[in-house]
Amino acid sequence: MVDAVTPSLFLDAAGMKALGASIAIAVTGLASAIAEKDIGTAAIGAMAENEGLFGKGLILTVIPETIVIFGLVVALLINSA
Amino acid sequence: MSRPKEMTRAVIVGHKSILKETIDALHDTNLFHIEDFVEDESGFKISKPFKNAEDASKKLVKIRSIANYLGIESKKPVVQKTDYVLRDLDSKLNELDRTISAKTETISQLEIELKDLDSQKREILPYLSINLDFDYYRGYENLKVFAGTVKGSLEESQISSITKAYELYFDPQSKAIVLFVAKKDADKVYELLQGLGFKELRVPERGGVPSELLRFIEQKEAEVTKRIESLRAEIDSLKVKYADFILASDEVLSIESQKAELPLRIATSANAFIIDGWTPTEDFDKVVSVVNSATNSKAYVTSLEIEEEEEEHAPVEYDNSKIVAPMQQIMDLYSRPKYTEIDPSSAIFITFPLIYGMILGDIGYALILGAMALAIRTAVKSDAVKPLMDILIYCQISSIIFGVIYGEFLGFSLASMHTEHGVVSGLIPGWNTIILFESIGGEEFTFPIHRAHMVMTMIAISVLVGLLHLNLGFLFGFSNIARHHGMKHAVLEKGSWIVIELGAIVAALGYVGGNSVLTYVGAGVLVLGIVMLTMGEGIKGPIELPSLMGNALSYARIIAVGLSSIYIAGTVNDIAFGMIWADHSKIGFAAVAAILVFILGHGLNTVLSIIAPGLHALRLQYVEFFGKFYEGGGRKFNPFGYIRKYTEE
Repeated sequence: MVDAVTPSLFLDAAGMKALGASIAIAVTGLASAIAEKDIGTAAIGAMAENEGLFGKGLILTVIPETIVIFGLVVALLINSA
Repeated sequence: MSRPKEMTRAVIVGHKSILKETIDALHDTNLFHIEDFVEDESGFKISKPFKNAEDASKKLVKIRSIANYLGIESKKPVVQKTDYVLRDLDSKLNELDRTISAKTETISQLEIELKDLDSQKREILPYLSINLDFDYYRGYENLKVFAGTVKGSLEESQISSITKAYELYFDPQSKAIVLFVAKKDADKVYELLQGLGFKELRVPERGGVPSELLRFIEQKEAEVTKRIESLRAEIDSLKVKYADFILASDEVLSIESQKAELPLRIATSANAFIIDGWTPTEDFDKVVSVVNSATNSKAYVTSLEIEEEEEEHAPVEYDNSKIVAPMQQIMDLYSRPKYTEIDPSSAIFITFPLIYGMILGDIGYALILGAMALAIRTAVKSDAVKPLMDILIYCQISSIIFGVIYGEFLGFSLASMHTEHGVVSGLIPGWNTIILFESIGGEEFTFPIHRAHMVMTMIAISVLVGLLHLNLGFLFGFSNIARHHGMKHAVLEKGSWIVIELGAIVAALGYVGGNSVLTYVGAGVLVLGIVMLTMGEGIKGPIELPSLMGNALSYARIIAVGLSSIYIAGTVNDIAFGMIWADHSKIGFAAVAAILVFILGHGLNTVLSIIAPGLHALRLQYVEFFGKFYEGGGRKFNPFGYIRKYTEE
């Protein structure tokens, strides 16, 4: 009985869209986080040696931010399509 | 487009007899960046510092250690005459040094005394309830005295079973015990005591009854503490009295030692000296006239032809108007421009606040942040904070303008809006949203722009702004290369990117419009651009092609980050007002909680409104924009001189 109801509940078009959008955000968010984690630790290490590297460290750390921005754009596109 | 201040390479040559006058004159102008001389095969050597160098630096060390000890901070300057400071510098410095060291020595002696008293006090404490003079504890021939503590309780019967000749004092609370027994019984008694966990305590050397002794010591402690406090207060009053003197003499001595150590940085022969360095071209004549008048024209000052290689390493001084100057902080955070390239401060002056405003675009947050920045700017006098606050104010002005365009105030819409569920009224009654034209993705372009309802349009606009910004970068790069490597290189390396873009746009227009001729023309132009790029940059050029799209799409963050801020603000508003409407019957707890949620939520979002738009706007400058033309790595123009604050000639 449950089996009969489930497909219509989950394969609803709007639900799939929302799910797709959320996957786009979630996965790219994780990807950005993993990339920024490594760069951030290295940047802090470099700053401990030389505080003047703050500017460069900041820039390098936020570079992977683009990944999640793209994810967000894709999510918005899915949502408004 | 501004370039760094034009520099002239200048050389000052003269006889050693006028070296001091020359150095004094140069130092006063504060316009000459000296290149340190490195000894080579030319036969010139660096010279020895002037005789007063050692003396000056010794005094400087002394005055700085005193300043450090007294905790003197820079403050509103009281300007003093240099002569006046120098006249009694020695005597005042010695006197200050003597007084302070005498006082600190006394303090440390008193502190030792205090420790001593404390340990005496601790020795007495166990005996406090035993009212017996300490002199009675010693000096017996036939008596043994046990003084100490035991673990368990002690019954007199235990001792009386060993000997009748004893005298026992026992305090059951502190477990202190003083026991007098005849020497012959001592061993047995000691055994008994050991069974009870006896621990011997030192008997204080000073004679007297414990309670009286304690009172005496405490009294003494209070006296010593009071003396230390009064000495400390005296030192503090020295700080107030001598602060001006210390700051002024630190300045005078710093100047003196700078001048005295200059010979270590210049080339000298047996009788002559050469000072090599840079001065802003506009000030060259001034340097010449100042040096000439100081040395009776005995020194020879000349400008040198700058070779291209040298030009790369010329020191860089910004040449921006006062309004643009705060942006130099953003430049320095990244890297100072090289002497040979464009200083993009004035471009950033427009683009940074523009992008920040496009992201934040909320009148409410802009007013809060603008007021905060203004308040901090007037309250904090620090030279490091002021430019940052200026930048923040520029950004808020832009945010207010975009706030009007977006019609947003703390996440509320100012204008009423027609939606599928009917008309939603805005904060300002009578301001209705006007539909201007049909936009892409089935959206309507309206005024004010409701960002959350025009996502596709806003993404397109953001990317368009990005392309304009990137092309500005290409133009700067074009100018930089044209200046140093000629027009051909500039066209191939930077112009090719613009050709590629044009080709892509024409091809896209043709494709969308169904005009195949236009598509082919566009594709042809695109290929031409790629060929030019390959000629200019080699194989590296085509490999970098996709980055152009990545860079342009990266500007989509303008709308993305902006939306996240709107959603946070909207959520806070929904929760807060939901709570108030929930129990409108009684204004009580829910209303207070709603106000709290409103204030905390918007407070959080205000802080985020500095960080998120600020960082993203900054990143778009540093990564996307600068990547197209900027090299950086210029040396700071650091003239030989001193900006006096506390003294004058």
